[in-house]
Amino acid sequence: MAVTNYEQLDTTNDVTNTRTLLHESIPLTGTIVSGTYGTFPDDANVKNYSHGQFQSVYDYPYLSSSANHIFDISIGFDESSAMSGSLGSTQESKKINMYNQMSQVLLGYTGSNNTVRKFELDTTLDAVNQMKEAIFVNFSRLITKDQIKKGTVSIQLGTGSWSTPFDSTGGSVKTLTDASASATEGTANTLGGDYGLLYDTSNTVRGLVFYQAGFMAISTSSFDTMTDFHSTSAGTESVLKTFVSASISGSADALRHRIKNISFNNTTEINSSIYFCRVPHNKYNHSANPTYLSASTIRVKSVNTDQPVAYITTIGLYSSDNELLAVAKLSEPLRKDPTNELTLRVRLDY
Amino acid sequence: MAFLDNSGDIILDAVLTETGRRRMAEGNFKITKFALGDDEIDYTLYNKNHASGSAYYDLEILQSPVFEAFTQINAGINYGLLPTTATDLLYLPVMKTNRLKRVTAETNAIATSGSSNLFVVTDSGGDSATSIGAVLADTASVDYVAGDGSGNNYVLLETGLDTGVSQTPNGTAANRQSYLVANGLIDRRLIVFYDGRFISGIRGIAAGSSANAGGEYNNLATGNGLNATLSLTDASRTNIQSGLSNYVAGTVRTVTNGVIQPTTGTNTETDFSVINGPRGIVAAISPKIKNGLDAEYTLYGGTTTVSGQSCKFIDTTIYVQGTVSSAQVQIPIRILRLS
Repeated sequence: MAVTNYEQLDTTNDVTNTRTLLHESIPLTGTIVSGTYGTFPDDANVKNYSHGQFQSVYDYPYLSSSANHIFDISIGFDESSAMSGSLGSTQESKKINMYNQMSQVLLGYTGSNNTVRKFELDTTLDAVNQMKEAIFVNFSRLITKDQIKKGTVSIQLGTGSWSTPFDSTGGSVKTLTDASASATEGTANTLGGDYGLLYDTSNTVRGLVFYQAGFMAISTSSFDTMTDFHSTSAGTESVLKTFVSASISGSADALRHRIKNISFNNTTEINSSIYFCRVPHNKYNHSANPTYLSASTIRVKSVNTDQPVAYITTIGLYSSDNELLAVAKLSEPLRKDPTNELTLRVRLDY
Repeated sequence: MAFLDNSGDIILDAVLTETGRRRMAEGNFKITKFALGDDEIDYTLYNKNHASGSAYYDLEILQSPVFEAFTQINAGINYGLLPTTATDLLYLPVMKTNRLKRVTAETNAIATSGSSNLFVVTDSGGDSATSIGAVLADTASVDYVAGDGSGNNYVLLETGLDTGVSQTPNGTAANRQSYLVANGLIDRRLIVFYDGRFISGIRGIAAGSSANAGGEYNNLATGNGLNATLSLTDASRTNIQSGLSNYVAGTVRTVTNGVIQPTTGTNTETDFSVINGPRGIVAAISPKIKNGLDAEYTLYGGTTTVSGQSCKFIDTTIYVQGTVSSAQVQIPIRILRLS
């Protein structure tokens, strides 16, 4: 029934707060994004929208309630890109809008005219080495949690022919990693949080990863030597041609076809309050448990000089007005008698 | 309601309760105290006669599996460990309902109804030419508490060391002093938890209501008769949480239980007390039924026939707990009204 016997906590000395970072390894295999659920490009776990601005990838056919959103794919280019203007790109305004939306949120504006910054393949944001065309991969918060762990990102892209993008004999898998990034160095900080650079194996920067935002911008230069980045009924297309002539969802299909693997570690920040419940040696050695007595006699004693003993299984944490706010259970009963004094460390995570 | 893995180190599994989450959302989450519980423990498993010695007495208890933490507050701590600092206690008080015929005959205490083990409380909401009280008293000869607060009937409770007839310590005044009073095991007030959907309040003993000058319930009247004239008054409401949904709490006064083994006369202590040993207190519990109960009988109760009269009933339980000893008793109640 009701608890009426409480032990006060010294809220100055018996309570402390701490923060813990929890990391999970997130491996996303390429077969999930292309081929597992249906026939490419009409995979049942890939959702296209009538607005055509991005494509969503799920871990299961998205009409199922069991499906979890993994990431979105889109492409875009800046209005100063060579693809803008006279080439008459398909969905040109939407591709420009997508680029601007990503860059304005993640990089912000600059100059007296408040022009939106452009992505750069370095960490200086000095308008040099700009990446005016990019493929965007926006990860769901479900898998990135609070942020991607720096230095753990890896994406493997097939650069082989359209029919055999991951041809192992031809060395046609390009691996991009944020190898130079760590918790203390190798990243830059902008409006969108910290970002690092994605290097290929020849140490050339091929993209960016924004850790808190859970976002990758992959440069078209990753595929610029290929003539068949994309294949349609009209023939094959280079990546730049794809950016011009294909829709956003068509370009996203082309990328999905070439994703072999994505992996990173996510980070969950756990804030904890730790309560040190100090149980004095001379208290809580008796119990109100009905089985504690037999004919009013304490079962664990034979004579009154025997030591009383009780067993703790539960700690209830209460507010000053006696409301039970949290409950902690011990995995096994803990013996309490007058010869021992216990400090039970209860951690509540938020 | 799984068990915790107890194959390795001792771990603590902590969760916020529903109340904790609500208060966190409201911004007034602050933990200031703690309490300890042992609800999973069955102390009958403590084997003081284990052949291998004292290290093995609690072997089975220490192997008791423990459930995961619940988020419902009613599954938090039902009993709890006591902060008593005395280490030389061999006895702790228990609480019992007194339904002895001599007591129900000579006082306003009621007995349970037949073999049902339920205490009957009337709801006069269905009375017309015939009253439920008249049916119970005149026709069915059933004891009852008038749920409208008009009568003086009550359920009588006692606490004490129920060690058994002719067992040590016996029920002398000296033993009461040394085993109960000296160890701080006298409950001056009891907490009464009742279902607020059906019961609007509780009446308990009014101040100075016992017959003798010392304010005691005792058997020191002429010829070792009973001094037990208890009058009733409304209990004080309290914000103590029972953990049970819809339950609210009040506190009632107690008076000294001065029943002892008489040295003269024909009455014995067991004529008046269900505690066989040093006695602590007595208390009276008289529920007041909420006005306007009707649909509740269909939702939570049923129908029955008493002396040919069709009646509706709701069965509920009142929980009573000592403020000091934490001794507890559950009182099963049947609320009865004419259909």
